[in-house]
Amino acid sequence: MSLLRLQNISRSFGSLRALEDVSLEMPAGELRAVIGPNGAGKTTLFNMVTGLFPPSSGTVWFADRTINALSAERRTRLGIVRTFQITEIFPDLTVFENLRIGVETAARSNALPWISRGRRAALERRVDELLAVTGLAEKSERVVSELAHGDQRVVEVAIALSLEPKLLMLDEPTAGMGDEETDNMVSLIRRLHDKQRLSILFIEHDMDVVFGIAQRITVLDQGRVLAEGTPEEVGADRRVRAAYLGEAA
Amino acid sequence: MELLLYDAFNGLIVGMFYALMALGLSMILTLNSVVNMAHGGFLILGAYLAFTLEPYLGFWGALVAGPVIVMVFGLIVERVLIRPIYKREDPVYSLLLTFGLALIMQDVARTIWGPAGLPFAIPDALNSSLSSSFFFLTGYRAVVVAIAFFAVVGLMLVMRYTRIGIRIRAGIRDLETVSGLGVNIYVLRAVNFGAGCLLAGLAGVLAAGQLGLTPTMGESLIMPSFVAIIVGGVGSFLGSVLGGLLIGVAAGVMTTYYPAASDAVIYGIMALVLIVRPRGLMGQEGMFE
Amino acid sequence: MNSRYVRLGVLWLLLLTVPWWLPLVGGYTQLGTRVLVYALAAMGLNLLLGFTGGLSFGHAAYYGLGAYGVGLTLKYLAPSTPLALVVGTLVGGVAATLLGPTLMRRRGVYFAMITLAFGQLFYFIVVRWNNVTGGEDGLTGFVRQPLHFGHHVLPLHDVAFYYLVLFCFALATAIMGILLRSPLGHTWVAIRENRRRAQFLGIPVERYVWASFAISGFVTALAGGLNAMLNNFTSPLDLYWVLSGDFVIIAVLGGMRSFWGPLVGAIIYLYAQDYLSSLTDNWQSFIGLIFILVVLLFPRGMLGMLRMKARSA
Repeated sequence: MSLLRLQNISRSFGSLRALEDVSLEMPAGELRAVIGPNGAGKTTLFNMVTGLFPPSSGTVWFADRTINALSAERRTRLGIVRTFQITEIFPDLTVFENLRIGVETAARSNALPWISRGRRAALERRVDELLAVTGLAEKSERVVSELAHGDQRVVEVAIALSLEPKLLMLDEPTAGMGDEETDNMVSLIRRLHDKQRLSILFIEHDMDVVFGIAQRITVLDQGRVLAEGTPEEVGADRRVRAAYLGEAA
Repeated sequence: MELLLYDAFNGLIVGMFYALMALGLSMILTLNSVVNMAHGGFLILGAYLAFTLEPYLGFWGALVAGPVIVMVFGLIVERVLIRPIYKREDPVYSLLLTFGLALIMQDVARTIWGPAGLPFAIPDALNSSLSSSFFFLTGYRAVVVAIAFFAVVGLMLVMRYTRIGIRIRAGIRDLETVSGLGVNIYVLRAVNFGAGCLLAGLAGVLAAGQLGLTPTMGESLIMPSFVAIIVGGVGSFLGSVLGGLLIGVAAGVMTTYYPAASDAVIYGIMALVLIVRPRGLMGQEGMFE
Repeated sequence: MNSRYVRLGVLWLLLLTVPWWLPLVGGYTQLGTRVLVYALAAMGLNLLLGFTGGLSFGHAAYYGLGAYGVGLTLKYLAPSTPLALVVGTLVGGVAATLLGPTLMRRRGVYFAMITLAFGQLFYFIVVRWNNVTGGEDGLTGFVRQPLHFGHHVLPLHDVAFYYLVLFCFALATAIMGILLRSPLGHTWVAIRENRRRAQFLGIPVERYVWASFAISGFVTALAGGLNAMLNNFTSPLDLYWVLSGDFVIIAVLGGMRSFWGPLVGAIIYLYAQDYLSSLTDNWQSFIGLIFILVVLLFPRGMLGMLRMKARSA
């Protein structure tokens, strides 16, 4: 049983064919990268899977149920949680408060106008756990808009984590990061995958990152799947080299 | 029956004013992302300027000069007051700013020209009826319809076929991209705002001839203009125009049967549209959602 | 944490002793009552505006409906102050609740436009239905009734009425304070901070905005009802869009993001209005100028500026 299955997905915007007959199968517990040149359709794929718009044709399966008709909120509640290319967090709140929303959402407590002290403490303990896992404990009282870019992106991943996702989708997690921040993010992703057995699907442009941690890679080019396989297979694939790696080298 | 036609036609005339206002408001709303609460202020500015200039320039001269001066004033307002707050993300600020401006403009008008209504003289030639069976079809009203029609059509043509019009329409969809393409969006927004004010000033002069001048006429015309935009659909200029005409006629017709409810019917239509077709009659999906 | 309790303590101490010290600084109890009423109205609005990010420019409608609810109850139904307040609060609050669904998918300026237009809808209903409401002249013929506690009767003169208003104010702010500190409040703030992120957490944003809109309507309606009792009079001006704008500027002036911001704003704004109208006929222009200056120079409001100073220190 696969966690995520895309069956012949196509998506057009007017006359622009963003995705063309894309099929993909991802088992649970995998760390998969999606790569491809600019305009290949990677973010479109993410947007479609997370429910921003439906496919023009084809079916999306999540844990063996079709989700084509489900809204973005519904899909998130099912366990598909994403981060964005341009960091989407709660700017004027502290790191702690940012994570707390996620924790309260996961605990289905969003609508409660009051909670007991015990419950409040339990929620805060969970936030502390997340802070520890993501290495943000020292910064928990800082307002997020004042943090460095790299830390903000870690916060966003932490918020996603707080929702206890079944599938974590990271859109260019290391975008705009320097070397140290990138290393930090990479080791975080590795930890999440190895220790917590999280299924992670991520878009990346940094090939060192991709080939460093991905178990499998899907290569998109001009809306189509160009190749798919282990890093070794993809790295050796001539078409991939021509279309993409050749440019980057 | 004749009363119905009379009321409907009156409603159509008022609807023209709503349409002109709504069109200007809609332009400013979509490109400048500002709810121009001061639009009524620009209307009365146009009306009172025309009143003041009429002895010197005559009716037709005032009809041209009034809106043009209002446009210039609008350009100044955009540059000095509105440009600093474009980068503010929260729309509350532009609302409060234009609201404050509206208070000032109304108060200044009242101070300079007095709180009482003033008559606006229209040329004798236009005062007489054009038709014996429809006595209410005066020359003036025909002129109002004609001018409003040409103004709207003219604007539509500018929007469609001139470079700046195309840029404005593109900017409404995606200002960032337009800017990235090298277009000077400061100029674009200024021109757009000025054009919106020009329409308000024009509506003011025309309305003055029809309804007379009071400091509160701006207020009474701006609210239905908002409704016209909602009914016609945000993002559709044609929708704003048609919405204005529709509610004008509806209000007019209502005065035949149930005068007390004639202004409430405008809001009734709005409520109905919002329930049945929330994006408005001609609105586009995704605007401000 | 400690300093917060100290500040709260000082605030309530000041509020409880207003009838004593306010006349000493040139004011009078009724002015204090007016400030509380406006502050309550603006705080109700701010639940939506400052804490959920919903821009309502038509909140005077619920205020005015609360006022007419109180007036009509006292005039036609029963000479009971508590009943009138309940009815007034319900009328305004229910109106806000019913309006919710039409607004829910809209954002930003479009949301504001619709609230503005609906505000006018209620205004015209009140103006036109003049055999019930008294039309443009306003509703007269009612007075606030003494309170009955068993055998004891408490007539609501100036000072006693101030304490009734303060009691309602305390109740409402206590409830709002609890809400804002709860997960529900956290969710509202998250929606304000980043609606998209909240959506992508799986939160059905529209429902929460609706709830915020409804609750804020109830609070503002209560304020309107209290105002009707303060003046033993109400008129369509209590529903007019200009008053809606007043509530917004009060919230922004004091600081939208601060719980007590609207109270500070009400104090400053009412004082300014009072002072300016005694000074010049053109006070409206100066009020308009205040709007513009606040937007351009003090967007975060008084308490907002203090908070920024504290943060950078």
